[in-house]
Amino acid sequence: MSAAHIATIARLELTQRLRSVGWYILLGVFALLLVGITALAFMVYSWGDAMGAGVYSIIVNVVLLLVVLVSPTLSGNAINGDREAATLAAIQVTAASTGDIMLGKLLAAIATGGAFLLVALPFLAIGLLGGGANALVLLVSLLILAVEIVIVATIGVGLSGIIARPLFSVAATYLVVAALTIGTLIVFGLGGAALRSEATSYSRPYDTNGEVNCDEWETYTYEVPRFDRVWWVLAANPFVVLADATPTEFNDDGYPVDMFGQIKLGVRAAQQSPVEQRWDECAGNYGDMRTPEEIMEGTVPSWFVGLGIQILIAGGLFAGAWSRTRTPARRLPPGTRIA
Amino acid sequence: MSGIIAEGVTRSFGEVHAVRHASFHARAGRVTGLVGPNGAGKTTLLLMLASLLAPDTGSIRIGDIDPVAEPLAARRLLGWMPDALGAWPSLTARETITTTARLYDMSTPDAAARATELLALVGLQELADAPAKVLSRGQKQKLGLARALVHDPQVLLLDEPASGLDPQARVHLRLLLRDFASQGRTVLISSHILSELEEVVDDAVFLVAGSVVDAAPAQSATRAWRVRLAGATDERFSADAWQVASTLGIPVESVGADRGAVLVGFPGEDAAAAALRLLVEARLAVAEFAPAQSALEHTFLNLRSATASPPAHPSSETEAGA
Repeated sequence: MSAAHIATIARLELTQRLRSVGWYILLGVFALLLVGITALAFMVYSWGDAMGAGVYSIIVNVVLLLVVLVSPTLSGNAINGDREAATLAAIQVTAASTGDIMLGKLLAAIATGGAFLLVALPFLAIGLLGGGANALVLLVSLLILAVEIVIVATIGVGLSGIIARPLFSVAATYLVVAALTIGTLIVFGLGGAALRSEATSYSRPYDTNGEVNCDEWETYTYEVPRFDRVWWVLAANPFVVLADATPTEFNDDGYPVDMFGQIKLGVRAAQQSPVEQRWDECAGNYGDMRTPEEIMEGTVPSWFVGLGIQILIAGGLFAGAWSRTRTPARRLPPGTRIA
Repeated sequence: MSGIIAEGVTRSFGEVHAVRHASFHARAGRVTGLVGPNGAGKTTLLLMLASLLAPDTGSIRIGDIDPVAEPLAARRLLGWMPDALGAWPSLTARETITTTARLYDMSTPDAAARATELLALVGLQELADAPAKVLSRGQKQKLGLARALVHDPQVLLLDEPASGLDPQARVHLRLLLRDFASQGRTVLISSHILSELEEVVDDAVFLVAGSVVDAAPAQSATRAWRVRLAGATDERFSADAWQVASTLGIPVESVGADRGAVLVGFPGEDAAAAALRLLVEARLAVAEFAPAQSALEHTFLNLRSATASPPAHPSSETEAGA
């Protein structure tokens, strides 16, 4: 394996991309989109004193959304596209090893995803002008965003090496990415609603004079969806990983100030069991009404599990592609040609 | 350098047996032609020699290196030119060469110098900075040749290199290959334009249905010679045919016609020479006396008709080597 070979192959890929007009149009459309989103984000978070943090979190999430939407098209035919154009063999017959080729392609795919982040940088800077974002939030969220770009690129390059036809590998990449982003949401929603159980709500009875009776409980039972049993499905969702990993800042009332915190709160709240609710008017503070900050402290983080699952999927696909691309080829998938 | 040695090389794709037990030796310092009909397994064989495809059984040596065990070492020795060049469409011809050179560990200045040198060698100087997608088929072939020569290989594998080339470029290619061989390197070239191959090759390997076949029986088969008397026309053909046949003492029905000339079959060159003497001594005005087909073409066409049954010649079956 050689760094010079990897760099040459990555540059070869990127040079071809940089010479297509479509690529610049895509980045231009993305920049326009960000102009609109930044403006809306400022309006959304104009209520708080941490406007910048809110705007920043929205832009990071939009960059992740764009990477998830566009990256499969750009990386999902990295290897089989070259095979169809008969340019893969031209590289394979040189002194570049299979590892050089795989890593060079991956590097180019990551750089392509990174270009979206680059375009978004000015907007992130504008968001910060609004104030309120702390350094740790910036660091962690950008790091996770970068890792997600790498994961999506790896899935795309991996599937392009395993599936013979570019059309199918691009579609398969979309399906895998959609399974993580939308599929997890669907399983969470349907699963929670399907696994219902009986919940009991406790409250104090009132007597005929309208006085609360603090010696007795009045109970009331009903069916609830059990999201606390399926919340872990969301762990593998890239947006949840991003939100859950980023440290949350709270305002004076204990509410998160940005979108990361709001998504995280939703996922963490789903961990709580809904089967017993108590409304104790005699306790003075309405029982166990907890603030978001308290909810987050009382529940478990899951982002590393989700990230681990994603890395496992991406790594497995990449390893499969690596062995398929090895030369001299022993087994060829049906319908593939070498040159 | 011992050139290219293949012993008992077999490769199948599922049910299709592309190459069966092929053995041959392409010697260093010589140009060897790989001849066979479409689908004979020429490209599959070249892919195995180029270290891109592993044989199911059998062994290959490029120089002293086994390309299956040490593909990276073999690739530094061999230059491979596929039948259709996969060119990176938006890269210029010059960039195509420099990128390839960089992948053979050349420094950037060396790669640039090599690109200029090779583009001049194949005659693409004027198009050096044009993107590959505007090149014609012939120009792409030239670029493919330049790319195969980037790292100054000892062994050159060419799959149909002449297709799409204009006559001048073909002559140029021929000189280039002869020069290459004269430096003690090995050239293996596949083609089915046999008349052209004949002008450049020293040896030929015949591949039919995936097997290397012995050319000796086919070469000794009766071969047609074209005899044209001075001023021959189609109208005069029957008179000429009668004159030639009666001089040679053969029935007039046994001779054929070819654009006014007479076709006569001879079992070998000696018989042809004897016949020519007879014709000249009989004072016939012989203007042309030559084989109607090139030697390769003759062998090739006779092979095809002779290989209805699988060949079992010693040269194609080396059990001990497998």
